Amino acid sequence: MSEEELAKDLGLVSAMTIGIGTMIGAGIFVLPGVAANAAGPVVVVSFVVGGLIAMVNALSVSELGTAMPKAGGGYYYINKSLGPMFGSIAGMGDWMGLAFASAFYCIGFGQYLAVFVGLPTIAFLNPIQLGALLAGAIFVGVNYIGAKETGGVQTVIVFMLLSILAAFSIAGFLSFDYATLAGSEGGLAPAGYGAILPGTALVFVSFLGYAKIATVAEELKNPGRNLPIAIIGSVAIVTVIYAILVTMMLGVVPWPELSQDAPVAQAARIAFPQSIGPITGVAGVAAGVMTVGALLATASSANASILASARINFAMGRDKIVTNWLNAIHPNYATPYRSILVTGGLIILFIALLGREIEVLAKAASVLHLIVYALMNAGLIVFREADTPEYDPDFTVPLYPITPILGAVLSLGLVAFMDGIEIALSAGFVIAAVAWYFIYARDKTDKQGVLSEFIRSREEELPDQVVDAADAVAPTGAGDEGPTIMVAVSNPRTESALITLAGALAKHEGGRVLATHIVTVPDQTSLETAAENRTGLDQSSELLLKEAAADAEAFDVPIETKTILSHRGIEEVFDAARTNDADTVVMGYGGTRFAGGRVEGSLDELTHDLPCDFLVLDGQRLDLSDVLVPTAGGPSSDLSGEVARALRDTVGVDVSLLYVADTGDEESGREFLTDWSEGHGLGDADLRVETGDVEKTIGRVGEEYDLVIVGATERGLLSRIVRGSLAFDTIENLDTPVLLSERPSARSLWERLFGGR
Amino acid sequence: MTSTDETDERDLLGHVLLPVAHEDDALATARALEPYDPERVTALHVVEKGGGVPDKTPVEQSEELAAESYAAVRRVFPDADEHTAYSRNVVRAIFDSVDEVDATAIAYQSRGGNRLVQFLSGDLSMKLVTKSHVPVIALPREGSAE
Repeated sequence: MSEEELAKDLGLVSAMTIGIGTMIGAGIFVLPGVAANAAGPVVVVSFVVGGLIAMVNALSVSELGTAMPKAGGGYYYINKSLGPMFGSIAGMGDWMGLAFASAFYCIGFGQYLAVFVGLPTIAFLNPIQLGALLAGAIFVGVNYIGAKETGGVQTVIVFMLLSILAAFSIAGFLSFDYATLAGSEGGLAPAGYGAILPGTALVFVSFLGYAKIATVAEELKNPGRNLPIAIIGSVAIVTVIYAILVTMMLGVVPWPELSQDAPVAQAARIAFPQSIGPITGVAGVAAGVMTVGALLATASSANASILASARINFAMGRDKIVTNWLNAIHPNYATPYRSILVTGGLIILFIALLGREIEVLAKAASVLHLIVYALMNAGLIVFREADTPEYDPDFTVPLYPITPILGAVLSLGLVAFMDGIEIALSAGFVIAAVAWYFIYARDKTDKQGVLSEFIRSREEELPDQVVDAADAVAPTGAGDEGPTIMVAVSNPRTESALITLAGALAKHEGGRVLATHIVTVPDQTSLETAAENRTGLDQSSELLLKEAAADAEAFDVPIETKTILSHRGIEEVFDAARTNDADTVVMGYGGTRFAGGRVEGSLDELTHDLPCDFLVLDGQRLDLSDVLVPTAGGPSSDLSGEVARALRDTVGVDVSLLYVADTGDEESGREFLTDWSEGHGLGDADLRVETGDVEKTIGRVGEEYDLVIVGATERGLLSRIVRGSLAFDTIENLDTPVLLSERPSARSLWERLFGGR
Repeated sequence: MTSTDETDERDLLGHVLLPVAHEDDALATARALEPYDPERVTALHVVEKGGGVPDKTPVEQSEELAAESYAAVRRVFPDADEHTAYSRNVVRAIFDSVDEVDATAIAYQSRGGNRLVQFLSGDLSMKLVTKSHVPVIALPREGSAE
C-alpha cells in the first residue's frame, strides 16, 4: 500500500455517520418545538423543502469533493475557483457558520441537560446557557487534548440514536392521532402556507452536516465512490427521518403545546405507555432515554463542527488567508490547539450573547453556510466553463448547468426568508471578510483562482471592466513577487552559463533565483562521513555558490543559495524543486546524468511528472548575441519562446525562429511562424522556413547561432536525456550550445494549481 | 516477528528506531541519543489516525510534521533513515515498525506531563516499556536532575 492509501481509513459507514451524526442532533432534538410554534404542522413541509435544497447542494459538493479530495471542503473549492477574495468570504463564512452552529448545538445540549439536572441562573446567564457553556467548554477541552473517542464510538452513537429514534417512531405511530396533527387551532397551516419557507430558513441548520464529510475527504477510502454516496445518502436519510419523526411528534403532542426546549423528551413521555404489563414507569424511562440520546446527538454535532472548523483554518492558513500561527500543533497532544481555542472562544461568546435566541443562532449558522453553498455552486460552474483540464471529478452533477444554478439560486433564495437581524449579521461578516482580504490577506496569499486566470487568459475577448475587476481583487502576495527560478549548479564550468539563463528569466519575469548545489555522495559513503568531510566540501560549494551569486548580481535579481547533500541525484533536483516551489529549473546537461542506475524504476514516473518547467543546457559557455528557436507549436515551445523573449529583453540577443516544413508547404509554414511569433511577443524575430529532415536542418541552421532552444515535442524528453536514449544525435553533436525545454504535462500543472507539491 | 535471541549477539545500538513526534521533540531525542553513537538510526513518525473518525489534524499537516521531524533528526544523524506509520494505536505502530525496519532497539524520550495528562493522552511510556519485544531505551531528559 502506498503511504497515501495508509492515510485513508474512513470507510463508507464512518463517512455516513459523520454526516448523519452531525445533522440529526439539531433537526430532531432541538428544533421541532420552535419551528412548529412558528409555522404549525406544515413545518414538516419546511423540513422536506430544506432537505431538497440540501440535496441539490449535496450534488455539487459531491462533484467538487471528488475532484479535489482536500482538507478544507467548501472553502478550498471556492478559493481555487473564484480566487482568494471569495475564498476569504467562504473561509470566514464557513468558520463563523460552524461556530454559530456549534453554539446552537451547545444550547440544544443545555436544554436537555436542564431537564436532567437543575442548573442555577448566574448573572445574565439562564440555566440553559449555563449548561451550554459547560458543554461548549467540555467539547473544546476534549478537542484540545485530542482525547479520542474510540474508533467505533461515533458509529455506535449514531446507530444507538437511530434505534432510539426507531423505537420512538414506533411508539409514536401507535399513539399517533391525525386529529392532533391537523385538529389544533388553525388546521395544518395556522400561519398560512407562506410560513413554509420561513420555516425552512429556520430548520435549515438541521442539514448543515453533510458538507463536513467533504472537509475530511482526504481521509476517505475510495473517495470517488464513497464521498458522493455518503454525502447524498446522509442527506436523503436525515430528510426522511425528519419528515417521519416531526410528523409523528406533531401527531402525539398538539403543536402549540410542543416543548420549545426539549420536544423529544416531552413527546416520548406521551407516546410511550405508562406501563407495559407489570413494568411501570415506561414513559418516564423512555423520556430519560430520549434525553440521553439528545445529549449524545447534540454533543456529537458540536464536536464534529469544532473539528471541521480546525480543518478550514488549516486550509486557510495554507493559502495564507489567515496566519499559520493559528494552525500550530500542540507539542504534547498533537492537536491544532490554537485554532480550537479561538473557535471555542467564539462559541462561548455566541452562547453568552445570543444563547437566549436559539433561532438567531440557528439562522446565522444557516445564512453563512448558504452563502458558502451559493459560492460553491458558482465555483463549480467556473471549473466546468474554464475547462480546467485538471478538473476531473469522479462524480458529476446531473443536468449541468441546471443543478449548480438551481443550487446557487435556492441557497440565496432561502437567505431572503431569514429575518433582518440574521441577514444583517451575515452581511456584516461578508463585508468583514472582504475587508480582511484587502487589509490582511491580499498581499500575503499567492493563490489565484481559476476564474481570474480564465479572465486574464481571455483578456482580449472580454470587456475591459471584467478584466479590470479581476485585476482589482487579484492577490498581490508572493505571486506578484514573480516566479522562482531554481538553478541546479554542479560544475564550476557551466555555473556561469546557467546563472545567466536563470538571471535573464528572473529579471524578465520579476522573479528570484535560487541557486542550489546538490552534492551527490556515492552510496558507499554515508552522508555522515560526507558531512564530516564537509569543511572541504563546504569550501568548494561555497565558492561555487558565491560565484553564482555574483553572476546573478549582474542581473540585479534577488538570489538565494543552498547546498544539499544527497545520495540521490536527479531525484533530489525534483524534490528541491517541489519543496522550494520552483517555477522553472535550469540545469546543465551533465547534471542530468548523475542519476546513475539507482532510480531506474521510478525514473519514468519521475520525469513524466515534472514539478515545473525544465531547461537543460548542453554546453558550457554562453556568449549570447543571437538565438535560434525551432518551433512546431506545443507547450514546450511556448516555454522556448518565453526564454527567447527574456533573453531578447534582458541581454539584447537577436531571435530567429525556425520552422522545418515539408517540401511544398513553405507557405503555410511561414504563415504558422508569423502567427506564432506574434502570439509569443516575438514579432520582431527573424523568421526562417526550411525544408528537409527536421533534426538535420536544426543541426545545420543551428551552427550559425550562439544558442539553439529546442522544446520537447512530446512528453518525456527529460526522461530520455537522463537515460541517455535521446535520439537527437545531430543536435547533441552540434558545437553550438543547445537549451532543451520541457513544460510539464497537464497533470503536473494540476498539482501546481491545486497544491499537491 | 523475529525473536531477538535467535541472533546471539545483537548490538543494542545496531539499528535504533527513534519515534519522534515533532521538530523539537525530534531534535531533543536525537541529541539525547547522539552521545551513545548508534550504528544506524531510523526516525519514525506515527501519524495518528482516527480509525473511523476524522483525525485530529489534516493528513497534509501530519505529513508536514513528519517531514520536519525527520529533518530535525538528520541535523544530528545526517544518515538517518525515515519511516512513517499510520495508525490509531501509536504504540502498536511503533512495534510494527520495529519489525518492518528490523530495528534492534527503540530509543525514546518521555514527554513528561503529569499523570492526568499522561492518562488522557494515553500513557505511551508505560505501554512502550511493558509490551515491547525489543529493548526499549529511555533517553535522559535534558535538564532533568532526578
